[in-house]
Order: sequence, then structure tokens, then C-alpha cells
Amino acid sequence: MTEYVEAPPAAKLSELSASVGSAPAVAESVTYERLLEARSEPQNWLTYYGAYDGQRFSPLDQINTENVGRLGTAWVFQFGSYGLHAGASTYAFEAAPIVVDGVMFLSGWDGWVWAIDAKTGQQLWQYKHAIPFDVSLCCGNVNRGVAVAKGKVFVATLNAHVVALDATTGEAVWDTVHGDVRAGESATVAPLIVKNQVIVGSSGGEFGVRGHLDAYDIDTGQRLWRCYTIPKPGEPGADTWPADSPAWARGGGNTWVTGTFDPELNLLYWGTGNPAPDFDGEVREGDNLHSDSVIAVDADTGEIRWHYQFTPHDLWDYDSNMESILFEEDGRKLLAHFDKNGYFFVLDRTNGALVRVTPFSDRITWGEITADGGVKPQIFPDKEGEAVHFWPGPAGAKEWCHAAYSPRTNMFYVPVQDVGSTVTRRRREFKESIPYWGASVTVDTTDMAGQVKAFDAATNEEVWRFSWHLPISSSVLATAGDLVFCGTPSGEFNAFDARTGDLLWQFQTGSGHHSSPTTYSVDGKQYIAVPVGWGSWVEGFAPGMMGGPHGDALFVFALPSAS
Amino acid sequence: MATTKRELSGLISEIGLDKQNGATLGRLVAHGGLAHALEGPDGKMTAQIRIPPDQLIWDPSILVLPHGGDVEIELVNDDTNTHCALLPSNGDSRWIWLPVYSRGKTTINLDGPGYYWFSSNVGNDEGRGLFGAIVVLGDVPSEARLDRPEQPRP
Repeated sequence: MTEYVEAPPAAKLSELSASVGSAPAVAESVTYERLLEARSEPQNWLTYYGAYDGQRFSPLDQINTENVGRLGTAWVFQFGSYGLHAGASTYAFEAAPIVVDGVMFLSGWDGWVWAIDAKTGQQLWQYKHAIPFDVSLCCGNVNRGVAVAKGKVFVATLNAHVVALDATTGEAVWDTVHGDVRAGESATVAPLIVKNQVIVGSSGGEFGVRGHLDAYDIDTGQRLWRCYTIPKPGEPGADTWPADSPAWARGGGNTWVTGTFDPELNLLYWGTGNPAPDFDGEVREGDNLHSDSVIAVDADTGEIRWHYQFTPHDLWDYDSNMESILFEEDGRKLLAHFDKNGYFFVLDRTNGALVRVTPFSDRITWGEITADGGVKPQIFPDKEGEAVHFWPGPAGAKEWCHAAYSPRTNMFYVPVQDVGSTVTRRRREFKESIPYWGASVTVDTTDMAGQVKAFDAATNEEVWRFSWHLPISSSVLATAGDLVFCGTPSGEFNAFDARTGDLLWQFQTGSGHHSSPTTYSVDGKQYIAVPVGWGSWVEGFAPGMMGGPHGDALFVFALPSAS
Repeated sequence: MATTKRELSGLISEIGLDKQNGATLGRLVAHGGLAHALEGPDGKMTAQIRIPPDQLIWDPSILVLPHGGDVEIELVNDDTNTHCALLPSNGDSRWIWLPVYSRGKTTINLDGPGYYWFSSNVGNDEGRGLFGAIVVLGDVPSEARLDRPEQPRP
């Protein structure tokens, strides 16, 4: 008879680390009113884009064109990966760090959320949502960030939950199921706080789900409204789907990137993803609303007030999830959108009317969009088994990674990918939870390029470009120091002169960039923070870098202290 | 040389993939038995997982929960080597020493549906077979499902 001893008590993994276990109560006072005026607090980066307008512009100017050459590392945060986890080859560090009064809130791959001292890099607490190994990952084990308000940190998880954490301890306050993992749904989006709501989009467009945007009560997690992007029979837009088939029910149109918000109009501007199946349009004749669109959604009710569809009846996987940047021109309320299809759209954001559209990518062969917005497809998968090649490939001339706008220069700064793809239509039956592309796809591993381009906001004309031998697949940050920051797939983190495009500073971080850098200050010192960790849907946006180093570090840069 | 799925476990045993240092260095992961967690009248789930001598496996290697929620797991080390357990749980993973001839309990919380890996995450163990899976059955709540007709599944 074996005599057993009592094993030492089980511990939380964070108890066996240098994590402090708690953070200052800085998030208690983050209210909707503060979020409305987020740019008036340049020391903080309070919400995903820095402010509701999506400009990714900071008024901080301590780091500027004169001194950026002296920028150095202040601290580095790393975490790595534990055990066997979902999408082991695809995990990437994609988040936009949120900073509130000296505390950084950051999400990672596979359900990780951290609070970090923004001045020293000391980890304050960690939260881990257990993610099933077999969850359907639409495009990798990633998360794009958290939202912070009313003492809580909000995160969407890969298994389609929305969780509110106590911002001082990291303990869960509420946990609401947001989607159906058996249907192939997941969630990677950074939530957006609007009034007393947590706005969360859905992922799963490659699995033939029905896209939706949801609002949850900030205090309880109760769902307040759900907006389906694909209408069911009888709803507005249903006539853009076949009347005699279930295509609408599998229509995609997911909402996996954070939207922007105009509080005066009370409208959310949310991008929607590709229709499903991605490349087989014959099973879904029609324009397929509201896929590949920006939808203007009433923030109180979830009703779609207007829409603009960038690629009707998409046959190229040209999601339109990427940001709609809100800006004004001669008092007119406009939005700017750089689409996967390679075109730069300016719309009147009060009603969705097209103001102007111009190409922003060098090679566009899939078709043409005329000045009046007419769409003329030219090359697309049509006949079963017949391969076609087109630019840009399914990752688009610009992926989800965000452009920036500087009101000082009146320019947009855009990360551009120039990669083609070969697609062959291959029809398949729809089965819930099985990828539903309707094609065989290979993306070019050679003959690719990338740029950071600057465009005049008044004319859409290109002002300067920085050319790179690889596609640029990370977000841009603009600052009042007249600097533009952007990383590369090969690990370089760059600072450009916002007016000329001159490369002023570069730092090799050791892994590719596929995230959103942010900036903040603590005790009067400005910092630039950039998550670095190559992964995600690399085979889509840069397969020529499939073998690139797989990092997992947050780099924070600052000027050297005066001696 | 095709085979059927029904024959697979027999073939794995025949070539020695279900034991240490047989066909390969370790033991094919998740080949150490399957058991269901018990659910009491109060809905509380419990389970026991053992480490038998010299096999470097969890027994069971596949633990099945009827649904998501809290499960109390008793871990028993019958081996003459020291191991540990790293278990997934919402909030933070749980880690426990398992000295020779020891037993210990911990409670974890998992969503469902889906499956999760657990392991003895020390250098002597991980990869040799001390990987196990916790399988959570069930569906998401009806209010989280898509508003659409029932769809075909594989």
C-alpha cells in the first residue's frame, strides 16, 4: 500500500514570477467624457486609435525631427509562449498598447493580458484566458488590444468571449460569450468604449459565419444590441443575395478591426470583411451587402444608418475592415479609408457620399474603380480549375494595419503592401467550422515590395514614399514632433520626417512588425511603444517572410535623460 | 498502405508508439486512456489523474468534461520520479509540484466547447508523453449563436 505525501499547494503561474500582482487604480477615472477628449491628454493613449477619430496622431513633440536620432531603448517587455497552444506557428504580437496615467494595459497572443509600469517596464499583473487548442483561428493566434474604462480592462478572446477585468488586479469581473466557436467564430478585435457600452466585432469570415457587431453593458456584460452585417431575407440589402439559397447565412462580412466614432453624429464607422466563400462568387450572385463596406451604425441602437461598399461582389478577399479616419475639410465632415483593393476613398461621413477616390498602390490589376466610384472587375477567379494572377493579393494593398493622419501636415501616412497572388476557383460544399474559401490560393514569395506613403489629404496626391523590399504590414504612428513611425517585416523600426519622408532613425528589433505603435509620457518624458512579434497570416501578406524570426517583445524607446 | 481509423490504436500499439522508448524516444502524446469527470448533484465536477510508474504519461491522458465550468482535479504521482503539472485555467494557469508518491488537488475553470493541453512542463518530461488533453463538450449558450438556420456540419 503506497503511502502518499501531500503535494505542495497549487499556485497561479503569476505567483511564481516577478509580477507585482496589482496596479494603481488609474482606470477608475477613465470615463466616456475623458475618452471624448482623449487627445487633450497627450500623456495618455486612452483608446485603440488614441482618439475616436482614428487619426493615430499624438500631440506629443518632445521627440522630434531634431533629436530623434538619439532615441534609445528605455525598457523591453517579453513573455514568450507556454506549453502547447492554439496556432503555435501563427502567434503574433499585434496589439496597440493603451496607457493611462503611467500604467500600460496590453494584450498578447493566446489570451494574455498584462498591466505594466509604463515608466519602468515592471509587470504589475497578468491575466490568462484559457484558449482551446482547437479553436478556429481565422488568421492566427493574435489580439489587437484592450479597452479601458470605469476601473476595468476589456478584452475579446480567441474563443469569442468578452471579458471585463478589474484594472487593479487583473481578476475577471464579468465574462460574456460573444460568439459560437462551433460555427467557426472567434474574436481578435480591440473593444471600443462608447458611452456605457463595450463595442465588439466578430471574426470568422473564412469559415462562412454571419458577421455581427455587438454592444455590451460596461458594468454587467449584458448584451444591449447586435447588428448583423449580412441581412437575412426581408431586411434592407437582402436583395443583394440570391433569393433561393442559404448564401446569406454564410455570408461573412465580419467586423474584426476596431471602428471609429463621431460623437456629434452618434455614428460608429465600422469596416466589414469579405463575403464568404471568398473567391467563388457564383454561389452568391449580387453585390453581397454589407460585405467589404464601411457601415455607419447608430451607437445607441446598432442600426445601420448608411453604408458604402468598396468592393461589390468581392472575388479577391478584399476585406474593408481597416480604419475609417475622421477628418474635416473646409468644415465638411469626411472620412478617409485605404482599402485592400488598392484605392483611397474619401467619403462624406454624414451620409456616405463619395467625395473622391484614387489608387494608392503601384500595381492594381484586379480591376479599376473610376472617379465616380464605378467598379470594373478585370481579372478574377471565374472558371473552375482555371488559375488567375492579380495584384494586390488577398492580403490587399493595405492590410488591417493602420494609417495615420497629422493635422499639422494635413497628410495621411499609409503602410502599403505590393504582393500578387494566384487563385484558382475550387468549389466546395459549405460545412460549419470548415474553411470556406472556394479556391486554391498561393501568394507570391518573390517580386514583392512595400512602402510607407504620404498623401495630401486635400487632393489624395502622393507627397512622398519610403520604399522597402518587403511589404509594409504594420501600423503607422504620427506625432506633433513631425515624425512618422512604422516597422518592417524584417524588424527595423523607423522614424521618418513627416514632411519629407527622410529616414531619420532606425532600430533593428529582431523580429517583424505587425502591430500598432503608440506614444505616451510619464513625468514629462515621452516614450514610443511598439509590440514586435512576427506571425499571424504571414502566408497571406508576406509569404516571402514565412521563415522570419518569431518574436514576442514590446520595445519602448525614449530620449536619453539629461546627465 | 492505407489503414482505417478503427485500426489506428492497434497499429500504434503494434509498433510501440504507446510506450516509452519503443518506436520512438517518447510516447505519442494523448495515448494514456480516457476518462470522464464526475458531476455531482450540485453540478460540481471532479476528476482524478495519475502518473503511473515509468510510463511518463497522464492516466487518463484525455479527461472529458460534460460542459465548461469549475473542475476539481486530484493529481496522484505513483512514479518514482518527481513531476509537476501545468494546467490551463481562466484567470491564470495552475502549477503544482508532484513529488514522488504525492497527491494534490487544484480547481481550474475552462470554457467550452474545445480542448486544452496540460503537461508536466519540466525538461525531463515535456515531449516524452506527459501531455494530456482536457476536452470540454457542449455548445455555447443559445443567445451567443448566430441567427441563421441550422447549417450542415462535417
